[in-house]
Order: sequence, then C-alpha cells, then structure tokens
Amino acid sequence: MDFDFSSLFAFILFGLTIGVVYGIVALGISLIYSGLDIVHFAHGEIYMFGAFFGLVFSEQVGVPYPLALLSAMICAGVLGIVIERVFYRRLTRAGGGYTVAGMGMIICGFGMSVVLQNIAFLIWGADAEPFHVDLGEPYQFGDISLPKSYALTAVMALFLMAALHFFLVRTKLGLAVRAVAHNKDIAFLMGINVPLMISLIFGLACALAAAAGTLIGPMQSVQVEMGYLMLMKAFAAAVVGGFGSLPGAIVGGLLVGIFENLGAAYISPSHKDIYAFLLLILVLMIKPSGLFGVEARVKA
Amino acid sequence: MTEANETDGARGSTPMLSIRGVTTGYGKIQILHGVDLTVQRGQIAALLGGNGTGKSTLLKALSGLLPVWDGVVEFDGEPIHQLRPDQIVRRGLVQVTQGKDAYPAMTVEENLKLGAFTRSDRKGVADDLERVFTFFPRLKERRNQLSATLSGGEVQMLVIGRGLMARPKMIMLDEPSAALAPKVVLSIFATVNQIRATGVSVLMVEQNVRMALLLAEYAYIIRDGKILIKGEARDLIKDPNVKLSFLGGTVADTSREIVA
Ligand SMILES: Nc1ncnc2c1ncn2[C@@H]1O[C@H](COP(=O)(O)OP(=O)(O)OP(=O)(O)O)[C@@H](O)[C@H]1O
Ligand SMILES: [Mg+2]
Repeated sequence: MDFDFSSLFAFILFGLTIGVVYGIVALGISLIYSGLDIVHFAHGEIYMFGAFFGLVFSEQVGVPYPLALLSAMICAGVLGIVIERVFYRRLTRAGGGYTVAGMGMIICGFGMSVVLQNIAFLIWGADAEPFHVDLGEPYQFGDISLPKSYALTAVMALFLMAALHFFLVRTKLGLAVRAVAHNKDIAFLMGINVPLMISLIFGLACALAAAAGTLIGPMQSVQVEMGYLMLMKAFAAAVVGGFGSLPGAIVGGLLVGIFENLGAAYISPSHKDIYAFLLLILVLMIKPSGLFGVEARVKA
Repeated sequence: MTEANETDGARGSTPMLSIRGVTTGYGKIQILHGVDLTVQRGQIAALLGGNGTGKSTLLKALSGLLPVWDGVVEFDGEPIHQLRPDQIVRRGLVQVTQGKDAYPAMTVEENLKLGAFTRSDRKGVADDLERVFTFFPRLKERRNQLSATLSGGEVQMLVIGRGLMARPKMIMLDEPSAALAPKVVLSIFATVNQIRATGVSVLMVEQNVRMALLLAEYAYIIRDGKILIKGEARDLIKDPNVKLSFLGGTVADTSREIVA
C-alpha cells in the first residue's frame, strides 16, 4: 500500500495553521506569566470574548473582517486592562506587589473564568454562532485545497508574532516591558512607570487572545464554552515550549497543532483533544523545563 | 561635632537632598527610627554603618520603593516622599542598588539605554553613552555582550553607568565597592570622584569606611535605624569613636592618591 504523502502534507499544513493560533494564545499566557507572575486561568474566556467581539463587529456592525479583527483586539485589550486593574491588582498588591501571590491568584483566575462565561451566556446565549467570512475560493496545492480563512489565519498569526517580537526587541517601550518582566524594582529605578507597563502587558496579552478568537471563529463557530479547550491547548503549548518563554510558546503551539492533527489522522479522530496532553507528557518526561525553558528560573 | 552641613550650605541656598525624621520599615517591622540627613549640592556624602543597620532601607525609602511612614524628604527644594519611584527618577534622583542588578538577558548597551528611559533627547543620550564609555572603556568593548556574561566589577561599572545615563542631579550608590578586587575598588572610587566633578551630588553607602571618608566631604554613621554620628569626613577620620566602630585599616593608604 502506498503512503499518501499529499494527505500527510495536508495534515501538517492544517496542524500548523491551528498551531499558530494556539501559539498566540500561549504567547499571551507566557507574557502575563513573565510580566506579572500570575498564571492566568481566565485567558480562555478572554479568547472567547474576543471571538464574540469579532463576530459582533463583523456581522452586526458590518465592518470588513480585518477591521473586525483589530476592533476585537482593542476591545479585549481594554476588557483585560479593566479586569487586571479592578480585580487582580488588589490580590497581587496584598501579596506584596507582583510576586507569586499563590493560591489566591489562581482561584481568582478560575472565578473570573466562570464569571466571564456567565456574562457571555447572558449576552449571547448558549448556542454556537456561525461566523461567516466570505474570502472566496480555497487555494489549491495539487490535491489539497486550503480554505482562504486558514491561510489568512496563518499569515495574520505570524504577522502578530513578528510585530510583538519587533516591539519587544526594537522599541524603547518593548525594552521597558522586558525590564518590568524581569525585575520590577529595578525597572522603577529606571524611571519606568511600572503599574502602567503592567496594564500594557496584560492588555497586549488579551488582545492576542482576541485575535486568536477572531481568527478561529470562521473555521469553527463561536460559543460561550469555547475558551476552556483553548486554554488547555494553549497551556500545553506554553508548557511544551517552556513556561514564560515567548519563542517557546510559539514553537509549543505549532507542535501541539501538528501533533493533534497527525494523531487525529493516523491514530483516532475521536480522541483529537488528548494528543496535546500526550505531547505534553512526552516533552516533560524528556525535558521537564520545556523545550525553551530555563531550569529553575530565578525571578527577583 | 560640627553642624556645618546643615547650617552654612556653602554652594547653594537649598541643599540637594534634605530629609527629616524619616521612618519606614517592612510590613509592621520598623527599621528606620527618624533619620535626619542632608546632602549639599555638588557634595559627596557618605552613609556608613554595619550590616543590617538600615542603609539600603533608607535608600529604598528615598527612591520611593518603600513608603515613607513619617517625616519629610526634600529633593532640590521640593517634597518627594509621596511620589512614585519613576517620578522621583524624573526629578533627577537616581539610585544604584546594592545587588548589582543589571538585566542579565539584555546587552550592555540595552542596559545603558534603559538607564536613559526617561529622556527623549536622542543627541544627549548618545553623548552620555560615549561619556559612560570614557569612564568605563571595558563596557565599550563589551557593549553587545549580554550582561550575564560580565564579571562582578564590570557589572558594577555597568550599573553605575546606567545610573548616570538618566543624567541625574544626584546619584545614590549602595556599596559600589562591595565584593570587588582592590584595583577595581580604586577605579570605582576614582569614578565617583569624577562624577562629583561633573556637578552631580552623591550619597554613597559604604562598608569601606576609610576610603569613603577620604573621598567624601561629609559623613553619617547609622546604627539601628538612627544617625549615630555625623560630621565632616576629615574630622570623622580622626574621631576615636569612629575608629573604634569601623576603621580596620583594610585598604592601604595608597587609596589617598585618588582623592588628591
Ligand atoms: N524586604 C525585607 N523585608 C523584611 N525585612 C527586611 C527586608 N530587607 C531588609 N530587611 C531588614 O531590615 C534591616 C535593615 O536592612 P538593610 O538592607 O537596610 O541593611 P543595610 O544597612 O543595607 O545592610 P548591609 O550593609 O548588609 O547591606 C535588616 O534587619 C534586614 O533584615
Ligand atoms: Mg545594604
């Protein structure tokens, strides 16, 4: 029996596309972790809100898709900043600034996730909403046809990653963000407005999640419970890559995407969602700190 | 004991830094019990004391990293004890911490640029970068190296240089000579002397009492969160009380050269 290379190629291609989306959500989770020392368990719900924002802008307001994407990112960024300022900051302050505030912060994140889900339920109901974006005929690569929404997703996600990289490495503000992520007291002594920078980091991470939501929307559908699975996959991606490492988050996302598509194709499609965790377990067995992780990361 | 530092401020009408009755601590634990201290414009003042007496705590309070519980901090004639640390830096008061806290994952140059974060005059920043490189030529050779790869002495140069990049009116140095080889210590002290020559006031915390007293004009000795002794450095160096508490003669008298 001949091995069908073109379908293998297709599975990898689809895996990469979904993988970059996991990557940008994981990027946000890592950004929040390295900047604020909190593991944000409500990030899946920010992603879900982002998808709804995109849907509302695209279908109800009627703006073109790219503009809907941008608007969703801005709205989710603002939502994130408000949540952080009003709720999380009290807790982190009680823990003596942005140190690991431990259990309190984790429970607060879970609580926020439930609250956001219920708010979304009140606004949009429990039904899955289709997200129509008409981008025209799919691309053809030989036997494989790739819907344009997939291609657009991959391109947009890569663009967002490149933009974030440029921001962090090449701009003065990005330098300040890195400084705050590493040591807040010293960043303060550099004249950096640390509380403002923390808002910026949180807002950026939430905007990335919203971008992921708006990009995935047209491929699947938009639904109030969509955040949970994405959070799990993005966490798997972040841990596979090395928690807190930004390049690691992206590579982890790609690996999770490819792995689960190959698993679904060659092992069993009905267990699609467990392959991410299978990969996670495999990577942790071989390299417990994740692929790009630093052993015993010491934070000041 | 002379009171010269409070009364006849020789070089200006208001002192650069004037603090009165400052108390602070961590959580409920009080560390400083009413500290008074003055630094005149263009002066090097030394803050001396044993381990755990509250020197770093005082600097953190002055920088705004710790809340001032009570008392007044006036910098350049204006109260600053209720400002955020970044606002205090913008006023021109910069601290170089004890921990030699360079950002290890950033290059030497990125660290220095970060020091100039509050400034938008590109030309001036570029000039100051060159000035720091003339102070510390080794940093120039290593400008594109990650600061994690620097030696202890080089990191100390880097953090002092980074402090200067803000173009401060006053710089507070927390034990700049700690854990460095004697030769590096000399060069650090020589640099502090040059910093004063550029018109920047200096408050220097030191364990190296003899060197500090040779360099500084005025000195404060702190113990258990209170100023115990203060006076002109040249008087304190002969003071038997000071000798009793500190002077061990660890650094050779050649250190006199750098102040001459
Ligand atoms: N973050 C903190 N939380 C609680 N107590 C602290 C903290 N930092 C310092 N202390 C305590 O405050 C007291 C003064 O510490 P400080 O660092 O100001 O001493 P120091 O004079 O700078 O000493 P050294 O010469 O060793 O640097 C010490 O008893 C120390 O244990
Ligand atoms: Mg100290």
